[in-house]
Amino acid sequence: FFYLVRVGHPINYYLQFVTRFYIHFTAEQVVYMAIVGSFPFNSFLSGVLSCVGTAVLAVCLRIQVNKENKEFKDLPPERAFADFVLCNMVLHLVIMNFLG
Amino acid sequence: MSNHLSIIFLILILLPFLTQSFSPKKVLILLDDFSLKSSHSLYFTSLKNRNYHLDFHLATDSNLKLSQHGEYLYDGLILFSPTVQKFGGSLDLNSVLGFVDSGRNLILAVDESASDLVKEIATECGVDFDEDSGAVVIDHGSFADGDHMLIASDDFIDSDVILGKEKIEAPVLFKGIGHALNPVNSQVLKVLSASPWAYSANPESKLSSPPSLTGSRISLVSVVQTTLSRVAKASETLCLVLPDNIGFRRIKAIALFSPDDFKILQARNNARILISGSLDLFSNRLFKSGVQKAGSSTNEELMGKPTFDDRYLRSGNEQFTTELSRWVFNERGHLKAVNVRHNKVGETVEPSMYRITDDLEYSVEIYEWSGTSWEPYVSDDVQIQFYMMSPYVLKTLATDKKGLYYTSFKVPDVYGVFQFKVEYHKLGYTSLSLAKQIPVRPFRHNEYERFLTAAFPYYGASFSTMAGFFVFSIIYLYNK
Repeated sequence: FFYLVRVGHPINYYLQFVTRFYIHFTAEQVVYMAIVGSFPFNSFLSGVLSCVGTAVLAVCLRIQVNKENKEFKDLPPERAFADFVLCNMVLHLVIMNFLG
Repeated sequence: MSNHLSIIFLILILLPFLTQSFSPKKVLILLDDFSLKSSHSLYFTSLKNRNYHLDFHLATDSNLKLSQHGEYLYDGLILFSPTVQKFGGSLDLNSVLGFVDSGRNLILAVDESASDLVKEIATECGVDFDEDSGAVVIDHGSFADGDHMLIASDDFIDSDVILGKEKIEAPVLFKGIGHALNPVNSQVLKVLSASPWAYSANPESKLSSPPSLTGSRISLVSVVQTTLSRVAKASETLCLVLPDNIGFRRIKAIALFSPDDFKILQARNNARILISGSLDLFSNRLFKSGVQKAGSSTNEELMGKPTFDDRYLRSGNEQFTTELSRWVFNERGHLKAVNVRHNKVGETVEPSMYRITDDLEYSVEIYEWSGTSWEPYVSDDVQIQFYMMSPYVLKTLATDKKGLYYTSFKVPDVYGVFQFKVEYHKLGYTSLSLAKQIPVRPFRHNEYERFLTAAFPYYGASFSTMAGFFVFSIIYLYNK
């Protein structure tokens, strides 16, 4: 399955897994909503947003950590990871609140 | 000694108030001439025996007045004066109609010599007499005593309330003019109709064209019962809607009242009017005479029914008029509905708003006037509607046989402003139109269930992303 594509650094493997899996998960939730109806719309939004958000944050982390990336050459990877963790905290706080 | 005297004097003064449980109703009777007092004495004594205070006057008496200082002096009016052109005193068409509008009752009897004034009173009440002023009801099939204009009819309305529980066996003798009912008016009822082979025409002149009023369309005696509807909002202002289809009257305006005026609005209308095309219907002569319907046996033979000698010693007039006057003067079938209450199941306070899918109880007390006191009304067909543009809930109220009607149901899953409506229109009984507004709100955001089954996939997705993030960060940190 295409989550398991290996691209160089083992970290990328995990990150790709995360990204692809969660985008698939989002698509599944949208299909479920189309079937059942958008009754607790807030719950639907929070579920979708959690998947999309974590995927986006994983992509950001991957970009920032990748040494071949010219833009983030001077950025220490610890800093990137700290940003990643912080943003995830905020994201999950919002999601828990919005889940109802 | 003087002490004793004063005590006795006091008791004598108070005696009328002590012995009576209720004050006698006063009825004004207008006659063309006082010979009617003796020729209709049996009817008048039957009224007197039921504790009515009768006041006889000539219709042209110049001292006539129905009300004094804004209050009506009489509870009922009997017009046995068909030939009067203009009432005496302060009476006229509008004062009579105002008397009826105030909820008081009227008996109107006419005969061949009916004047325009009397016919106009009848028209305003919803009854159209034959326009031909010489026309009487003629029946060649069921007449009595050889007079084709003295007809015998037993085509009564089917109502125990109006005509009493005992069936009237003998036919009722009638001699006079017929009337037709306005078909649009739903408040007018035919109590005694003519047989299918009767017609209304002038006996003196030759018939040049078929008569306009024929058959069972002719009503000999009819009653009108006016209705009142009361609407009460939960916010305690009352709105009164007056009847708009009584005869050809204009539509009355909607008036708004404050809670202080509430007492005045109780049972303002529901007047009962009896209109008879024959004054002789009430006379002693027709009460006492026997009836044998001439020609009835041949008609029965034609229809194949067995014939028998139907000779009645006394006509049904006395029973008919007595029972009818009982109904007209509100001794029977007069209902009042009080104490409308609703509350959530388990509470006693009446809330100002309900929530959808609440359980609520509704109760109302209905009493019937028995002539002397209010008795509980027992019936199994009173229904309550929970209404917003159309009834969402329609339930029959259960009764505890003591006048209390109650039920409980679940508020429907629709929010808006609803009304508790009781629309009780039974033949012969006063119409009950009760409406009470109540708003219904949807769930507040904290009244939903804590975890909705429909949202489980989303919960699962959110928690799984959190778990994924946690696992990933561990792997990332401890990956060499």
